[in-house]
Formats: sequence, structure tokens, C-alpha cells
Amino acid sequence: MDPQDLENISTMLESEVQLREKIKERVVELDKKARTVTGLLNKVHSTPFNSLPKLTEPVTQTLLSCQPITAALAEIIPPNEFWRWKDMWSNSIRTLVFAAGFVEYLTFRKLITIDQVSERLELPPEDYLQGIISLVNELSRLAVNSVTMGNFDEPIKISLFVKDIFAGFSMLNLKNDILRRRFDSLKYDLKKVEEVVYDVSLRKLSSAPLDIEADVR
Amino acid sequence: MTDMDSATSPILEAFETFRVELDDYNDRRERLIKASRDATNLSKKVIFLLHRVVGEASAHEPAVGKRAAQRGREKLREVQNLFAKMSTELKGDRYWRYRWQVSPGIQEYTEALSFAHYLEHGTLITLKQVEESLSDTSGIPYFPMSASDYLLGVSDLMGELMRYAISSMSKRGGRQKAAEIGAFVRNCKADFEMFTPNVRDLRKKQFVTGQSLEKIEDANYAVVVRCSEFDLPPEMLDDIVSQTVSTVHGGGVDAASK
Repeated sequence: MDPQDLENISTMLESEVQLREKIKERVVELDKKARTVTGLLNKVHSTPFNSLPKLTEPVTQTLLSCQPITAALAEIIPPNEFWRWKDMWSNSIRTLVFAAGFVEYLTFRKLITIDQVSERLELPPEDYLQGIISLVNELSRLAVNSVTMGNFDEPIKISLFVKDIFAGFSMLNLKNDILRRRFDSLKYDLKKVEEVVYDVSLRKLSSAPLDIEADVR
Repeated sequence: MTDMDSATSPILEAFETFRVELDDYNDRRERLIKASRDATNLSKKVIFLLHRVVGEASAHEPAVGKRAAQRGREKLREVQNLFAKMSTELKGDRYWRYRWQVSPGIQEYTEALSFAHYLEHGTLITLKQVEESLSDTSGIPYFPMSASDYLLGVSDLMGELMRYAISSMSKRGGRQKAAEIGAFVRNCKADFEMFTPNVRDLRKKQFVTGQSLEKIEDANYAVVVRCSEFDLPPEMLDDIVSQTVSTVHGGGVDAASK
């Protein structure tokens, strides 16, 4: 091997290693935030709806505190190399998208937009969509648990919301990849929510049963 | 999911955008996989061509390697044109997004080019030289040549060199050549070793290179042991060998390319 080339390649690989370590440091921080928010959001399932703001407030704060981290990440990634490194933080980002989406739903009963979550760091649709699938997974749980807590209207709201999202996903031409497999899991969530809605409306527990009638397909 | 919904729901509107983006991504991905496969196939053909040209020669002369390299380079131009076409799909950050799709083609091309280079110069092509061969007329690379594609590509060259060394054995000057190749492969393997922690799959390649190297070494050993039975100068041995080969194979041309 040409000695000069040997050295060039060593330098190239060496700087790659250094950059990877720098990114890793940030990702560890991001990961910690992601774990904090999932931990907090777990309590949604046992928190009465009127005390939810007390729960979502610290989540929002933690999410906001991610901004300097993602900004720092955006800073250290060399131009055009976003895709080279993004796998390192995709998992944490998806969790954060899920958390932000959950708070948005609990506060406004709305789907968080990709623009709302991708302020600091480029967010590919795949990652956003995966976060949204996690949200649906979690909402199907919430449908069950809100009934347990005596909130009979929530499953109906969730049902409408989840059906809209499902309709959205159905529009995509998904390849046989992770997104596809996770999309397939949505069907089970949908079914679970529908069963709860069925139980609630059969017993006339909900005050808003007509809404679903209108949405029955 | 009715038409009325899609006109009103902001959710569906957003998903409309995602559909366009995902389709664009998937289509481009497919195109690049196909193009990369074409580049791989063409490069493989060049490697066969190189083996054939040096195999058809009855002796080892620098001119043979040069001629082979020239013919190989002509063919490699087709591959370079393929990469030139692909480069428009790999602009900016897209190269890194689709690198797993294009890297097999780049590696096979590197292998073919490095083989031609070795036949002509007897040295290992540098990363820079590979990159230069994949640049436009003003010298701007079609995409960044990664150290990993380079190292994995030239690692595959070691296997070709093993084949080349073994099939050369029976030719005039072939035993000398095989010894040279053995030394070359040994040096390369040693040089590559330091990169194994930082290049995915390089360790596997190093293992295969080790096997190739052993084959060359065993063949060289057999030659030394057998030669010691004849107390003759190497040129005379060459004569005896080529005579034997031509009587056995009726020409000796095919023997090496088998």
C-alpha cells in the first residue's frame, strides 16, 4: 500500500471515529430525555383527566430542553452528511416525536404536525411516522384505561383520532420494511379501541355516542 | 376514507405529502439498486476479461499486463459512465442516504480497476486514483469515495490475485510472478489490518484474504520443493514446464484460464 495513502485513510477513519464519539455524547443526552418523558407519560394511564396538565407540563419542559441538544447535533454534522449519521439518533428522536404527539393529543386532541417537531433537526417522514405509530399503540391502551378511570368519552375521541391516522397510513405505498410491519400493528390497535367503544356505547355509558355513528364506515 | 374526508382532513393532507416523499425515496432507491447491479455485473465482466487476456499470453512480460489493463480500462469506461449517470441521483446528502444501495457497485468497480492497475504497475491503486477515475471532466468526484468502499474493494482484489498467481505458475516467469504476488498480498493484508476496527465487514474480508494468501504460499512452497529435485537454472525449468504443458493441453493456451 502506498504509504501516503495509508496515512490518508487512517486520518479519514480517525476523524470519523472522533465525530462518531462526539455525536454519541449528544445522543446519550437525548436518550436520557427520551427515557424521562416515556417514564412520565406512563402515568397518563392512571391520572384522572383533570390533573393531566400537571403531568404534561414537565413533559413539555423536558421536550423543550432537547432543543439545545438537537441544535448541537445539527452543528457538528458536516454538510450533506445528515444521512450518514442519522441512524445514531433515530430511535431517541422517534420516542421524542411520540412524546410530543402524546402531549399534543392530550392537550388539543390533535395530531402533531411534522413541522411542529422538526424545528432543530431535519426529521425524515419515516421517523415522524414511526413516532405516530407508537402514539397510536399507546392510545389504544389509554382507551382501555380511561374507561377504568371512569372517563367514558375518551375512547370515542381516541377512536375518531386513530381512524383518521389509519386512513392516512392507508394512503402510503409502504414497502416491506419496518414502517410496513409497524403499520400492520395499527390494525390491532384499531380493533382494541373499537371493542372499547362498543362496550361503552352498548351500555350507554358515553354521552357522545352519536359521533361514532356518523363515522362508522 | 371517502373522498369527502380527503378534501377536508388536514391529517390526510399531510399524509398526501408523505406519500409523495416516500414514493420518491422508494423509486430512487430502486433505480440506484438496479444501476449498482449493472455496475457490478459490468465490473465482473472486466475482471474476467483481465484474467482472460493475461491467461492467453504464453509468458509473463510487462507488455501483457499493460495490454490487459488497456482493454480492461476501455470496458471500465462503461462502468464510469454508469456512475456518472447515477451521480445526478446522488447529489448532496443523497449519496449518504443511498450509500448502502450503491456501495456494492462501487466496490466491484474498485476491484476491477485495482486489478487492471496491478497488472500494469504491480502496485496497489490509491483511494485518490479510484476517486479520480470516478470524477467528471473538471475533476469533481461523482460522489465522495469512502475509505470503506475502497478497502473492501481492494480486499476483493486479493482473491483475484490468488487466481492470477495460481494460473500463472505453469508459464514462463510464472513462478517468479507468483512469488511476487504472494509478497504483495501479504503486505496488503498487513496494511489493511489496522483498519479492521473502523470498517464494517473488513474483518471478514481479511479472513478470506488470509485463505487466498495461504493458497499462494502453499503453491509457492510446492514449487520450491519440486524445483529442488532438479538441479537446473529457472529458465531451463521454464522450458521443461512449458513443453510439458503444451503436450498435455495441446497448446497450453486454455490451461491457465481454467
